Amino acid sequence: MRAPSGLLGPRGPLPLALLCLLAAACGSLAEGQPSASPLTSLPIRGEMMTKYSNLSLESHNISLTEHSNVPVEKNITLERPSNIELTCQITISRGVNSVNVTWKKGDELLENYLTNATGCILYAQYMFTIINSKQMGSYSCFFGGEKEQRGTFNFKVPEIHGKNKPLITYVGDSTVLMCKCQHCSPLHWTWYHSNGSVQVPIDVQMSEKYAINRTNANETRLKIMQLTEDNQGSYWCHAVFQLGESEERVQLVVLSYLVPLKPFLGIVVEVAILVAVILLCETYTQKKKKHIDDGKEFEQVEQLKSDDTNGVENNAPRHRKNESVSQ
Amino acid sequence: MARRAEPPDGGWGWMVVLSAFFQSALVFGVLRSFGVFFVELVAAFQEQAARVSWIASIGIAVQQFGSPVGSALSTKYGPRPVVMAGGILAASGMLLASFATSVTHLYLSIGLLSGSGWALTFTPTLACLSRYFSRRRSLATGLALTGVGLSSFAFAPLFQWLVSRYAWRGALLLVSALSLHLVACGALLRPLSLTEDPAVGGPGAQLSSLLRHGPFLRYTVALTLINTGYFIPYVHLMAHLQDLDWEPLSAAFLLSVVAVSDLVGRVASGWLGDTAPGPVARLLMLWTTLTGVSLALFPVARTPTALMVLAVAYGFTSGALTPVAFSVLPELVGTGRIYCGLGLVQMVESIGGLLGAPLSGYLRDTTGDYTTSFVVAGAFLLVGSGILITLPHVFCFSASASKPQDPKTDAVDTKVSLTKEGLQED
Repeated sequence: MRAPSGLLGPRGPLPLALLCLLAAACGSLAEGQPSASPLTSLPIRGEMMTKYSNLSLESHNISLTEHSNVPVEKNITLERPSNIELTCQITISRGVNSVNVTWKKGDELLENYLTNATGCILYAQYMFTIINSKQMGSYSCFFGGEKEQRGTFNFKVPEIHGKNKPLITYVGDSTVLMCKCQHCSPLHWTWYHSNGSVQVPIDVQMSEKYAINRTNANETRLKIMQLTEDNQGSYWCHAVFQLGESEERVQLVVLSYLVPLKPFLGIVVEVAILVAVILLCETYTQKKKKHIDDGKEFEQVEQLKSDDTNGVENNAPRHRKNESVSQ
Repeated sequence: MARRAEPPDGGWGWMVVLSAFFQSALVFGVLRSFGVFFVELVAAFQEQAARVSWIASIGIAVQQFGSPVGSALSTKYGPRPVVMAGGILAASGMLLASFATSVTHLYLSIGLLSGSGWALTFTPTLACLSRYFSRRRSLATGLALTGVGLSSFAFAPLFQWLVSRYAWRGALLLVSALSLHLVACGALLRPLSLTEDPAVGGPGAQLSSLLRHGPFLRYTVALTLINTGYFIPYVHLMAHLQDLDWEPLSAAFLLSVVAVSDLVGRVASGWLGDTAPGPVARLLMLWTTLTGVSLALFPVARTPTALMVLAVAYGFTSGALTPVAFSVLPELVGTGRIYCGLGLVQMVESIGGLLGAPLSGYLRDTTGDYTTSFVVAGAFLLVGSGILITLPHVFCFSASASKPQDPKTDAVDTKVSLTKEGLQED
């Protein structure tokens, strides 16, 4: 079966001189030949192209350089079945003929690919259709030669996001667990609860405790009422797409009211002790001061009495006594 | 108890400074770090951000408008019972808030109850501090007010940790226990009788005599204008930096620099206020003018270095004016009337504070950037400092204008006719 020339520049008429120049610089042009027998997981292209012509077309490119050490990867998020066109291009300094092009899905060798060369650039193209989860995965193009260069396309379903931090609630409260994804609309969402390693699906119809609310297509909310300590653990939300499933974990912690109450009571007791200590210290220092003052007064009175008996004037001590008492 | 002729200026006064330090931390630190709960409450109650931010606004408004009540009560009963009662109110407000099931509950519990608790604690404490110190009043006030800045650093991460461990309900319960320490701080406020106390009479008499006191009224107007301009940069500096295409991390770093220089300014100005000769009102004028100038220069600065220098200058001068603003009052009205005086000032200046930020926001919306609002804020500060010139003794440079003996004579002159008992016998 002859491969159609596709979009990679048909071998149209070029000025002969230019062609000779190009040939001198990069070697002769080459064109790949499709192999004879298609593999079972790949649809036969001619018929399938018409059957799936109502699907959208996605094109992705990878550019490689000849002597780099790093394999190039491209992550592609895919939600619905589509026709896929993958192109790898590599800039070769010499000897395009010596480069061996292969395509692999994982470790499986693929066929039905095209190669084309324009100037110093070698193009390798692979077209196929993704209709179910078996066709998702990693597709790699390999350019052989002195050093093998590789480009990988990774197909994944969209990721969903929950809350990274654990959700903390109290017994008797109600809470809402949420999962959402940026720009996707899954077929449906399911929730699971795991208290170890086994995931148990949550049946919403069975109990009054759970309610699943779908406001938008790209998010799901699980409302849990009348929380108990058994409800804590990990909750998993699964988003089901045509091409696979995506899951995310949300952690729920249920505390009893005693947990913050104990430090609270501890601090209240501490404050009460502080206040008592401060007030007691103050009454103690005041009593001491009063005793000292009383003691001073007593001393003064004693001194005056003794002065008095020593025969000093009677008026003066009385005057002084009045003064010291009135203070 | 014997009446003292002069404030003690030390001794137990330093314990009052400690108490005031913790109280300003527990009142304003909690208010400033409330933003941590804001995010959680918006998610928990599925309410709009504007409705949740009213919680803190109501709390601040009740605290400021309730200041005269706190002052009047502490004139009658002394600061200790009032502050302890305020601490219990503030803590029970937070306790009830942890059981809230709607935002209205939070308005009433945190806004009204805790707000009135805070009103009964902060103003009486600062007034009590002014009565304990005369020579070192500014330094004491400056040291006490550093509690606000330091607690903002400490409480925000603490609240965040509490929320991540106990969720917002448990965290509010523990913040309530934290606020209960206000009661312990109140216990430290030993009552002090000064000689001019009986001469000035009860709260009603004090209030009426204050309202007829010219310099006091002028001072209140000046502080209101200053307050209008003062808060604007706190609210809008971050947004202004983002308008100038600063990265959030560098902008946050600049705000930390402002906070640190604010702290340094408070202590330095407190020390300077005590050692510099002459009335403290002159220093207040100096710092206010400098703050106004640095604010007005903000729109002119575009390069990072200029903005950094201006930020340090603004932080230092605005921090410097706070302890001095509190120290001017006892010199004007006397330590006998300080409770009522401070309460009235706080209530009136809060009007400026409430108007300042929305005015600045309105200016930004109509003109497109923050230039006008910064210039207007600077203008408010400069006008306020201009009014301060009319205060008595500001321009007296003679030797007799040292720390004035005037408070006593002022109090005796303007007293309502009451008995002269308690003063020395003839």
